[in-house]
Amino acid sequence: MAVRIGMMSFAHMHAYSYAHCVKMLESEGRAQLVGVADHDPERGKQAAQQYDTRFFESYEDLLDAGVDAVIVCPENVRHRPLTEMAAQAGKHVLCEKPLATSKADGRAMIEACKAHSVQLMTAFPCRFSPSYIRLKQMVQAGELGEVLAIRGTNRGRNPGGWFIVPELSGGGAVIDHTVHVTDLCRDLLGSEVVEVYAEISNGFCHGDFDDTGMLTLTFANDVFATLDSSWSRPKVFPTWGDVTLQVVGTKGLAYMDMFAQNSTLYDDREMRITLQHWGSNIDYGLVSAFVESVATGKPVPITGEDGLAAAEVAFAAYESAKRGEPVRLPLPE
Amino acid sequence: MLRVGVVGVGTMGRTHAAAYTRLPNAQLVGFYDMATEAAQRTASQFGVKAFDSYGALLQEVDIVDICTPTPTHLELVVKAAEAGKHILCEKPLGRTLQQCEQMIEAASKAGVTLMPAQVLRFFPEFKQARDLVLAGAVGTPVAIRTRRGGPYPRAANDWYADFEQSGGPILDMVIHDFDWLRWTFGEAERVFAKALTFKGLDHIDYALITLRLRSGAIAHVEANWADPGGFKVDFEIAGDAGMIAFDSRHATPLTVAKQDAGGGGGGVAVPESPLAEDPYFLEIQHFVDSVAAGQPPSITAEDGMKAVEIALAAIESVQTGKVVRLGGGA
Ligand SMILES: NC(=O)c1ccc[n+]([C@@H]2O[C@H](COP(=O)([O-])OP(=O)(O)OC[C@H]3O[C@@H](n4cnc5c(N)ncnc54)[C@H](O)[C@@H]3O)[C@@H](O)[C@H]2O)c1
Repeated sequence: MAVRIGMMSFAHMHAYSYAHCVKMLESEGRAQLVGVADHDPERGKQAAQQYDTRFFESYEDLLDAGVDAVIVCPENVRHRPLTEMAAQAGKHVLCEKPLATSKADGRAMIEACKAHSVQLMTAFPCRFSPSYIRLKQMVQAGELGEVLAIRGTNRGRNPGGWFIVPELSGGGAVIDHTVHVTDLCRDLLGSEVVEVYAEISNGFCHGDFDDTGMLTLTFANDVFATLDSSWSRPKVFPTWGDVTLQVVGTKGLAYMDMFAQNSTLYDDREMRITLQHWGSNIDYGLVSAFVESVATGKPVPITGEDGLAAAEVAFAAYESAKRGEPVRLPLPE
Repeated sequence: MLRVGVVGVGTMGRTHAAAYTRLPNAQLVGFYDMATEAAQRTASQFGVKAFDSYGALLQEVDIVDICTPTPTHLELVVKAAEAGKHILCEKPLGRTLQQCEQMIEAASKAGVTLMPAQVLRFFPEFKQARDLVLAGAVGTPVAIRTRRGGPYPRAANDWYADFEQSGGPILDMVIHDFDWLRWTFGEAERVFAKALTFKGLDHIDYALITLRLRSGAIAHVEANWADPGGFKVDFEIAGDAGMIAFDSRHATPLTVAKQDAGGGGGGVAVPESPLAEDPYFLEIQHFVDSVAAGQPPSITAEDGMKAVEIALAAIESVQTGKVVRLGGGA
């Protein structure tokens, strides 16, 4: 039985990739893209046309159209209302990261999904990277010995639009780029972040939002990590950014540069040099895992709690920068 | 002709000595090392004298070059200053700030030159990056990352592994990066750091240090004595109008792999980065030329102390878990 999926908003550009992945699963007979709704109807109609599916005038109409599950990709502050609406309608939810822009919102989303017995999955596609999976296998097999420290980066560029309107995004680079690597570290270590220190600035864009974040995380098992979440890639940088992890263990060191599978394109007409990625499509792994959980009822591999734990590190980073000192986790509810 | 005596015949002592032998205005007179056999061996390799005491060396030279473990610098520097000798001292200048102050005082009282060997300033990639930054090539610098390290260092009596002597990778190694950061971007305001230094591990150390500079820029410094994969250095300077990136793994114009590396097995590829003038030679040339001209060298003893101050602040942050603010004066 194909899982029937609705797309709730294309405000976040990742929605396009997820919709594409649903279409791939459709061709395998595992999923069906039922339709699209968006509070920006123009954007919604265009996306519906692009993916050869129906446009619904309202989110309610989409939820009434017999979908089993939804993929929620609006502006960050709208994750909560759309997730709650879907949960109340009894639909499983795959929600874009960061799960929420406050702890209260994240908690409410988790509760709503629990109350209506639907699953809530956070979109952390990096967990499906073959390089990360291999790294995790090696760590779990003890090949690096005991893990002692991690150096991570998730750098990119200012995406503009609503991402730099804190009322819609909940912040800037730090809320946008803290959660992926934090989630990988939590997953790799099986341990929670207990302290966050952050230096934050707006030096790249000089706007009313942060574009530079240098975080130091301490985990319950005493491992420490730093995470560069800056939008520091220049406009002419040959690719969008990176996700890297350097893992230091008692028996060795591993370095993962997740998107380093590229060829270089030298383009005279565009006067640009770009990296052409040929590595595996990690979004496919993400959407496929969600669809499988919906189809079989087995628990989603990345929960709402995982999404909130990672987002909480970003909240703590802002708090740390404000106070000028490290901040203990968990933050007060 | 300036007569030079080198103290310490370890890795650095021999590197420095080789540079003096190539200079027209300096003459390597000899070595002193408390390991007398090693001193004699090295002296005969260079065709110079092995002094049997530090005092004997001081009597026959104009310049003393100190290449001994860090905590020995104080006594050797003060004695050289009192004897009226100009001094090149390996980094870190001292193990503590008080030691640095005493050395600076002794040198200024005696009116001799004391230059800390912050050799990174003579590495072309670091010098060029600074020139580019000062020329505005990246606009205003915002986020700076440096990384330095490789396998755990081995030396006489394993002294690097004794934190009381070496100060671990934060004081011993990334003091280079702290000096370069100050030289290029200005003073640091505060530091927060985490490290393995005090976890009682066997020959593994690693530190991640975040600095906030007075300019507002944020710098992240990695100090790595936990990478069996070989020594690597990289940096990245991201500004509001561009970025400069360097990675030693990609700066290897020559790589050689031999079919048979001896013992029958195939050899690994060995990358090289040959330069017409190595940075240690340029450093020593600058020092000798400055002394010869009676000019102060471009690196002051205060610079050496400031770099030590940042390193010690980072170590304090590791020990206390707190943010450490750096002292007043510019
Ligand atoms: N600039 C660089 O790139 C760089 C690199 C390595 C080391 N260093 C610095 O150079 C200095 C020496 O390091 P190294 O790796 O050459 O050490 P090493 O252990 O190889 O050599 C030190 C030598 O000093 C001798 N010695 C120790 N105490 C002495 C004393 N009181 N009087 C006379 N001789 C004494 C030892 O017998 C030994 O031969 C240190 O301060 C270190 O931090 C700098």
